[in-house]
Amino acid sequence: MTTLAKPFVEPRIPSRATAVVPTVADLPWLVGYAIAFLAAHHIAAEWGGRGFYSLLYPAAGFRIALLWRRGPRLTLAIIVAEILVQIGTGVIDPRSAGWLTALIGVIRPPLVYGLIVLLVRTMADRAQTSMSVAPMPLGLASVGAPAAAALTALPWSLLRPDLTGVSGLRETVTSLTGFVVGDLLGVLLLAPPLLWVADLATGGTLRPGRPSMASVAEAVVILVASFAIEILLARIGLGTPHTPVLLAVAWIGLRFGRLASWLAIVVVAAMVLPQTAMPMDMGGRLALHMSLASIMVVGYLAGSFADAQARVRVDLERRDRLLFQAERLKTLRAMSVAVIHEISQPLSTLAIEAKHLHELTVSADVEIATTAALIDRKAAALSTLVRRLRRFGGRTVDVPTPLPLATLIDTVAALARPEAKSHGVTLSIDAVAPDLVILAQEVELAQAIVNLVRNAVQACGNGTVILGVTRTNRGVELVVVNGSRPARPEQPGMGIGILVARAIVEAHGGTLSRVTDTAGNTRATIALPLVGEPE
Amino acid sequence: MTDTACGMVYVVDDDQDLGAAVARLLRRHGHVAEPFLDPAPLLEVYERAPAHCIVTDVMMGEIDGFDFADRVRLLDPAVAIIFMTAWPTTANAVDSVRRYGGLDYLEKPIDEDRLLAAITEGVAWSKAQRSALARTAGLTPRQRQVFDLLVKGHNNQAIAAALDISPKTVEDHRAAIVAKTGTNGIAQLIALAR
Repeated sequence: MTTLAKPFVEPRIPSRATAVVPTVADLPWLVGYAIAFLAAHHIAAEWGGRGFYSLLYPAAGFRIALLWRRGPRLTLAIIVAEILVQIGTGVIDPRSAGWLTALIGVIRPPLVYGLIVLLVRTMADRAQTSMSVAPMPLGLASVGAPAAAALTALPWSLLRPDLTGVSGLRETVTSLTGFVVGDLLGVLLLAPPLLWVADLATGGTLRPGRPSMASVAEAVVILVASFAIEILLARIGLGTPHTPVLLAVAWIGLRFGRLASWLAIVVVAAMVLPQTAMPMDMGGRLALHMSLASIMVVGYLAGSFADAQARVRVDLERRDRLLFQAERLKTLRAMSVAVIHEISQPLSTLAIEAKHLHELTVSADVEIATTAALIDRKAAALSTLVRRLRRFGGRTVDVPTPLPLATLIDTVAALARPEAKSHGVTLSIDAVAPDLVILAQEVELAQAIVNLVRNAVQACGNGTVILGVTRTNRGVELVVVNGSRPARPEQPGMGIGILVARAIVEAHGGTLSRVTDTAGNTRATIALPLVGEPE
Repeated sequence: MTDTACGMVYVVDDDQDLGAAVARLLRRHGHVAEPFLDPAPLLEVYERAPAHCIVTDVMMGEIDGFDFADRVRLLDPAVAIIFMTAWPTTANAVDSVRRYGGLDYLEKPIDEDRLLAAITEGVAWSKAQRSALARTAGLTPRQRQVFDLLVKGHNNQAIAAALDISPKTVEDHRAAIVAKTGTNGIAQLIALAR
């Protein structure tokens, strides 16, 4: 196979009209969010102030984590959940005169958060820079959402002072700064660990490796040194600039990634927040929290950037390996075409002469006749095989044509049997009804099925791989089933076979799904439309 | 196998064993077959000993199968040509039939039944061509012009106008053509022209 065909059957796109309505699977998440929001909202009151709710707002962390994890389509559901909580706690009192103001105040932040998450995700899907490599988009959303929420609040606050309860530009800006700082601290402290735990629980990410002692020591030394410098600067009367800690956290983020930078941020926050929870003057508290917020933003973005870079590097290495493999396959293909040619020439002679010998010796001695018949049969079988192999290896993409499934399965069987046999695996193929016809590029689709069979053979534990075809009400299903092998050694492939198979099947307007049950049996199913069936 | 279905066949392949094997196979089926390693010597002797059918490899030394087909067609338009190759491509398959007038394009290892069927068809076609050519060979240039227009469906008046001669002269030429080719009516003349 040289190129993948463009899809010649349009994929079916699911209707998006109902996308904003939460599914049943979303409900536990939303209920959990409502409870967490209620608790976090009240804890935050400790750092409250005039004109803003709190200088530390963990509820925003839960909000962005849920939006990122389950998608911005849950924005409306989150707004509803927050309204319900706030009605329950009496923040929105439907009987009071200011209920509409309170309602708008509750709706605005989650709405802006949802829009920012949507915007960042859309941009990340299109962009090709390092900004679009995970976890950079999450970092951008984490910083952008609180800032955007505050910015959208600015015109409202100026026009309707009753929203924030403060008046004048000076007071309004102070109020919104408090709002941004509170949300930023909440988001950066909570969202990363929440998302990480959720990923870990669903197996979406790997447990990080144990860091080396040297790295831990380096991070600790740098952090301690930065604190020491700050204390020194304060002692000699230079005030309390937070630049040393900021640089230390940025360094840790760039060197060791997001997890390390987050841990450093937590350490810094743990030292600052208990102080600011105590009664202290507003200006000082705001200044401390702003410094903390900038340390967190810089640290978190540095960590995210380092992770994104590491990811890009891994991707590049993987792509390099793929390139080597592709190059090797190209050489292999050229070699096999040459070998087929070299074989076909003498084989032509051999087949002609063997047939002649067979015809000559029909009435001869039984021993001679049997031998001649055998040679003739083998030469003929070999000729068929060489022609088939050449068709598979030599031809480029041709147009899709109606193809009986039985023919396709025959081709697959001929290509896959030798490999199965060499692995000591029996390939069991069900009889295929002759009236099942699909629209297909034979060589490509055969390649897809062979890839699945090859994977099944390599992973097979009980010595049998089953290839079955069943007719469904929507078309036809090809199923490749293999038993498990207890201890599976690392396989040489890199999952390319499955990727290629999926691309081919989807170009044929079908789907490929793979399910491994608890016993370890894997079942790969290709669903394809039949020719002449209504869509 | 009847005698009319058997003919003279040349097999051209740079693999000596394969050429010889195919030639022997054809001889067993009643044809007179001769293998050639190289097309050049065959082209030299061809006019003295034309064949009904030529089976040729495509990829050969100096002269490839297609080049050879072009040259042999110049010498003999009534020979059927069958290509065989170990490097089949769709483009070559189409060219072999459309551009080089091949009867078939066979993939190695050769499918024996298909080769024999193609040879039988080629020999029959070649014999029909030769007999038609022989029957129209005695026509004068003027008669040939009238013949060509006749088989395209023109009537006497149209032919007279086209060649700037009188309808009576056309009538005379028609009688001569029918006599020389031994045909009976316009339908048989058209069959000859095919």
